[in-house]
Amino acid sequence: MIEGTLVNLRPQEVSDAEWNARWWASADCKWFMGRRYDSSLSAAIEETREAAVPAAGSRDVWLAIETKDGVHIGNCGLSEVSPEDRRAKLSLSLAEPERRSKGFGTDVVRTLVRFGFEEMNLHRIELDVFEYNERAIACYRKCGFVEEARLRQARYARGVHHDTIVMALLRDQWREAR
Amino acid sequence: MIEGALVNLRPREMADVERNARWSADPELHWLLGDRYARSLAASEASMREIASKATAFDHVWLAIDTKDGVHIGNCRLFETSAEERKTKLGIWIGDEAYRSRGYGTDAVRAIVRFAFDEMNLNRVELGVFDYNTRAIACYLKCGFVEEGRRRQARYARGAYYDVVVMGVLRGELVVSR
Repeated sequence: MIEGTLVNLRPQEVSDAEWNARWWASADCKWFMGRRYDSSLSAAIEETREAAVPAAGSRDVWLAIETKDGVHIGNCGLSEVSPEDRRAKLSLSLAEPERRSKGFGTDVVRTLVRFGFEEMNLHRIELDVFEYNERAIACYRKCGFVEEARLRQARYARGVHHDTIVMALLRDQWREAR
Repeated sequence: MIEGALVNLRPREMADVERNARWSADPELHWLLGDRYARSLAASEASMREIASKATAFDHVWLAIDTKDGVHIGNCRLFETSAEERKTKLGIWIGDEAYRSRGYGTDAVRAIVRFAFDEMNLNRVELGVFDYNTRAIACYLKCGFVEEGRRRQARYARGAYYDVVVMGVLRGELVVSR
């Protein structure tokens, strides 16, 4: 388990499948996380199992976010890990109503970033976020992430194209800011 | 076959395998494209078989670049194509050194991007290129790609970190003639 101030990050378990299926089917998850199609419970079980027991050779880290009282409020991960470039991609999703409560997202990002740099020995952590997800962008900025690129019209949803923003945090800058 | 002014793009064939294996062992191409580990002929054959045995389709565009005289000089492909976002990623390399800096690459980029827009009905083609690959960057700019950002220190090679330049071209931005 990785301990933050407000949250703990623990491995995904197969028993999280129902929670995941419910979250993935929500309008919020589709809009902010880019999911489009509902998953059957069987598909959600399969996908959750892959996160819980990664295939041999996978370096992905998929975690469930729990409050200190043990309530599952979201998921996060570091994936697409490149050991040579020493970088990984951060992902984070928080379900309502905790997303609105101050501090959970920021605590997750800080905790995960610290794990990435101090335990996985990464050099760079990056992420993609849709331009209209302003709350997330503000949270990443607060944690030190810098906007590096804007992929024009890379996202399509609700009838229109939107930009995708690439943000990243380098280890040296993170260390200096602490 | 997709016809350019200087090149034709055709599906990749098993007969290309030795040339591909030779290119995939070239340190200069590793430097420019990001491969690190040389492939055995057996591994090249296995991946070639996988590529060549699948019909070219919306999500499987792997093409060989031939001069008009039928000399195989390189390869290109569209990958991570999204039907909903109507976008794809472009990868291209001129394996045969004698054909670099002579307009073949630019012609191939124009031909495959035009195909992506005019036949596949895509809206966006994107790519990543290492900051030191100035020849490629100049070629993409000439074709109408826009630098959308820079993933700082995302590439490690030859003992140092380098940026990855993210470029994209939207439908209507492709520059067809010089």
